[in-house]
Amino acid sequence: MNTKTSAKGVGTDSETTMGNPYHNKTAQWIAYALFFLALAAIPFSVDDDFLLNQLATYGVYGMLALSISLCWGFGGILNLGQGIAFGLGAYGMAMTMQMQTQTAENPIPPIMLNNGLDYLPFLWWPFQNTVSGLIFAVGIPTLFCAVFGRIMFKARVSGAFFAIMTLAMLSAFYTIILDQQAYTGGVNGITPPSPLQLGSFQIDPYSPAAYWTVFFALLIATVIAKLITQSSFGLVTQAIRDDAERVRFLGYSVSSYETTIYTISGLIAAVAGCLWVMVVQYVSPAQLDVGLSISMVIWAAIGGRMSLLWAIIGAFLIQGGQSYLGDAFLSTWLLILGGFFIVVVRFLPNGLASLVEAGLGMLASKPKETSFREPSGVKPVPSE
Amino acid sequence: MKITRRKLLTTTLAASAAVGMPHVWIPGSRDAWGATLKKGAPLKVGVLFSLTGALAVPEEDSTLVLQYAFDEINKAGGIGGVPVEPVIVDAKSDFSVYSEKTKELILREKVIALFACYTSASRKAILPTIMQRDHLLYYPTCYEGAECTQNAICTGPIANQHSKDLIPYMVENFGKKVFFVGSNYVWPKESNKNAKIWLEQVGGELVGEEYIPLGSSEFGPVLNKIRDAKPNFIFSTVVGASDVAFHKQFKQEGFKVDQMPIASLTTGEIETRAMGAEFGAGHFLSAPYVQTLDNPTNHKFVEGFLKSKYGKNGVTHYNMEETYLSAYVFKAGFEKAAAAVGFENVTPRAIRDHSGGIRISDDISPEGEVWIDENNFNTWLKPKIAQCQGDGTFKVLKSADTHVAPDPFSIYPESGVCTKDGLKAPDGKIRKGVI
Amino acid sequence: MDFGSVLNALILGVSIASIWLIAALGLTIIYGAAGVINMAHGALIMLGAYSSYMLQHYVGVPYLLCIPASFVIVAIIGLILERGLIQYLYDRPLDTLLATYGVSLVLVQGVRLIFGSDPKYLAVPEIFSSNISLGFANISTFRVVVIAVTALLVLALWILFYKTRFGIQVRAVMQNKEMAASFGINSSRIYMMTFALGAGLAGVAGSLFGVLNIVLPTMGDSYVVQAFLMVVAGGGTLAGTVIASGFTGELQSVFAFITNDTFARFVIFLLIVVFLRFRPQGLFAKGGVRR
Repeated sequence: MNTKTSAKGVGTDSETTMGNPYHNKTAQWIAYALFFLALAAIPFSVDDDFLLNQLATYGVYGMLALSISLCWGFGGILNLGQGIAFGLGAYGMAMTMQMQTQTAENPIPPIMLNNGLDYLPFLWWPFQNTVSGLIFAVGIPTLFCAVFGRIMFKARVSGAFFAIMTLAMLSAFYTIILDQQAYTGGVNGITPPSPLQLGSFQIDPYSPAAYWTVFFALLIATVIAKLITQSSFGLVTQAIRDDAERVRFLGYSVSSYETTIYTISGLIAAVAGCLWVMVVQYVSPAQLDVGLSISMVIWAAIGGRMSLLWAIIGAFLIQGGQSYLGDAFLSTWLLILGGFFIVVVRFLPNGLASLVEAGLGMLASKPKETSFREPSGVKPVPSE
Repeated sequence: MKITRRKLLTTTLAASAAVGMPHVWIPGSRDAWGATLKKGAPLKVGVLFSLTGALAVPEEDSTLVLQYAFDEINKAGGIGGVPVEPVIVDAKSDFSVYSEKTKELILREKVIALFACYTSASRKAILPTIMQRDHLLYYPTCYEGAECTQNAICTGPIANQHSKDLIPYMVENFGKKVFFVGSNYVWPKESNKNAKIWLEQVGGELVGEEYIPLGSSEFGPVLNKIRDAKPNFIFSTVVGASDVAFHKQFKQEGFKVDQMPIASLTTGEIETRAMGAEFGAGHFLSAPYVQTLDNPTNHKFVEGFLKSKYGKNGVTHYNMEETYLSAYVFKAGFEKAAAAVGFENVTPRAIRDHSGGIRISDDISPEGEVWIDENNFNTWLKPKIAQCQGDGTFKVLKSADTHVAPDPFSIYPESGVCTKDGLKAPDGKIRKGVI
Repeated sequence: MDFGSVLNALILGVSIASIWLIAALGLTIIYGAAGVINMAHGALIMLGAYSSYMLQHYVGVPYLLCIPASFVIVAIIGLILERGLIQYLYDRPLDTLLATYGVSLVLVQGVRLIFGSDPKYLAVPEIFSSNISLGFANISTFRVVVIAVTALLVLALWILFYKTRFGIQVRAVMQNKEMAASFGINSSRIYMMTFALGAGLAGVAGSLFGVLNIVLPTMGDSYVVQAFLMVVAGGGTLAGTVIASGFTGELQSVFAFITNDTFARFVIFLLIVVFLRFRPQGLFAKGGVRR
């Protein structure tokens, strides 16, 4: 378990007794700093447009894994519909970028003209202006999460039920976006013809500028998420994860906490959606595909859902593996990937992070800490 | 991974600027291709199709036939004296992988052209990259048109060519009433818009139009509507697995092929094999190519391909033939460009600019002579109407008398006309890269 | 909108319902009894279709015999799966979701490696390729077969769960595993049996879908989410799933009749979410423990 699971996390005993450095707050911040320094060093050492662009996409996936880790690992809310926030954010950004390329003589994007619309639909109005477009691109998915979360958590929907509900919601969005071609471009999605224009500057997806934008977004999201998990708010959410009933009896409004963490997670995913379109210049309903949303959960699970950093690393590893090993193994790659998932879930329920945790525990020569799966942490999610 | 001093300097500058003053973020280089050809080195081309996942069914065949075509070209001496080296990557049926691999092929592998994509959605996913790098895409299948990118050459029929003969033929032989069924996305809708124009010209009547979600296999409701509407024939633009389900359920629901046949733009040899010939027999197809075309070039192509190590799937269908042609269009375009600007100076841009008007004669093209339009870089071809036989093969009943011109904006005259340099609006303004 | 069309839409609704139901049956058993979220269900359906294809194509077994044979084959695969993996995950229900997703990746890709990615085809007796016409009402014979098989399976399951000793044991384990164990019920064995049974039911669904649809490695994927919704809306009980599928099938048919297919799907997803908002425990809440 990463940081502070359960009561131990308040940081009294684990810090003072010099136990496993894995649980040490300072050590954790140092690890985070090292990770981001390493990422920051890449553009200085490599002259490869493609690699920068690729890493920027991975950074976006890292943000998604981070959002899942925050929501699932720390909040105990398994969300199989993170694609909603990601996809809506991505569509908002794509619409903004599309509108940037429309001129006074050509105010209507081709997807509408080709679908028999000769006016700009209401849905697209906010995206005519870049600033309001960006606000809406992030705001709409966040608002959706707040409302949907509120409704669901008020009704005490949780655990597997919530997971299936998000799946249903995701499928609903997927279907309607696919269907409303005049507004969304249908299965072909939206392909803005030129890169994002911010003021008078263009963020070329292959330039270091795009890389740095993603880098800072990931950095800020990670720091905020980390601070949240260490705050008293974060402790209550983790308590809810471990036993919601008990927290409710203590007088906390469980649903408010759940809604908040779910919404923050959605916000991060929405920002990731915007950045994704900035980097790949394209959006389609595939961003709301069930498979992608499950992949996000898998990145977090492989890396270690209880650790924000490891969730991000999980995304980098899996996507990197897909890009590089995927070609080498071609048709056996999915077999390897599937087998890897099975092994990790079966033997390392907290992902690769638990290997590191155990390793560091052994180094700290505290024999008691070396157990692979600490009894206290084996049920990270209430089996609700 | 070498740190050059200049690189370090510029990136440091960029990074510190990025932190401090976002307004000096330097835009990346917008250089085109950014590579040069070396005489003697093999010619690298990207081959980007899905070998795994849901799209693997048609796209694996495309990869195989391209390998066959390049082998054939290399055996005959290559292109401009050097062999072609296809860089084959798997797009995993995932649009973001298409996008990523396109970047890799262009930026890292420095290929001179890409042969890629079957679905429009994947094409839309990679076009921004292609356009930005001023690269060249060979898109070897049918699609809806309505694009004018200056960076793509298409060897399949577009919406205005595909059904031009089919609709009058069906109306003449079966009756005026037609029901449109399509998968729910842009290609079927565009094709149907064109089909409506042909239908109007021959005085036909549209009695219903339905769209099925992509990949759906439940045709009960649609077949019920068809039963109520009593059309004389069905015009289908249903694709992929749905198409198989449609034909199967059509027969299972008691519809009779001789009373109400399905005229399809997609149901070719692989589809009929997947559904079983008894479900396909009697229905109609419009395509520029079917495996049983009777001409020496096609006999050579079918025989050679099926015997080669790439012929393991045992079929050649229209999509494969269009893909095969694209390799020869590339060869001709490259050689023309090399003759004009010199081998070393050939760029994707130069190939494209020299590809207008290229003819693939009938001793190479299994479907008969075709040529590339000088303005919109789609293909002039002769669509053929064929009927599926009891053994799953297709018998050609009618071939267009003359080549049909491709016109990607035929139903959007107000948008303009696609020219070599961009979409020319009615007011004379030219817009580049219209997608 | 005449009477005949409406009636046809309603009849079709029954058929669509039976397809939703048979896809969800196996999942109901597995989720209901063991709480396992089996994402490999689609892959098991696919295996059912490929088993039938294999038997028909290489051994020459007649189609009607392929159905029970697929049940056996896929049940055995399910059994291996349960013994090899799932049995270690019963106390981590959300992890079963991930592990079984991994399993489905492996199964789908494995089948693709063996059989190739081109679609296969299941031949059926000529009589199934026709339809039954009763005046203005029409339905294809094969849809009737699907309805009949589904009804038979539901009946058999009902008898199994409510009239046999095994059923009593399953229900006891469902309600309280420890208590059941103290009465000498081997819960591990019960889980194993129910998982195999659920997998076998997916196999039957697969051999039927192979005829309606297309036999492809990815053919099962589209059924997983909808099957889950049925199970969850039904509260994980057999009766709940039957009723949920019945409603959904009719709704889909009627909406598709009034509007179009895509919109019908959207409405159904939305309705299920709204329904579960008000009844998060599903149609029929299970007695005993709250899961």
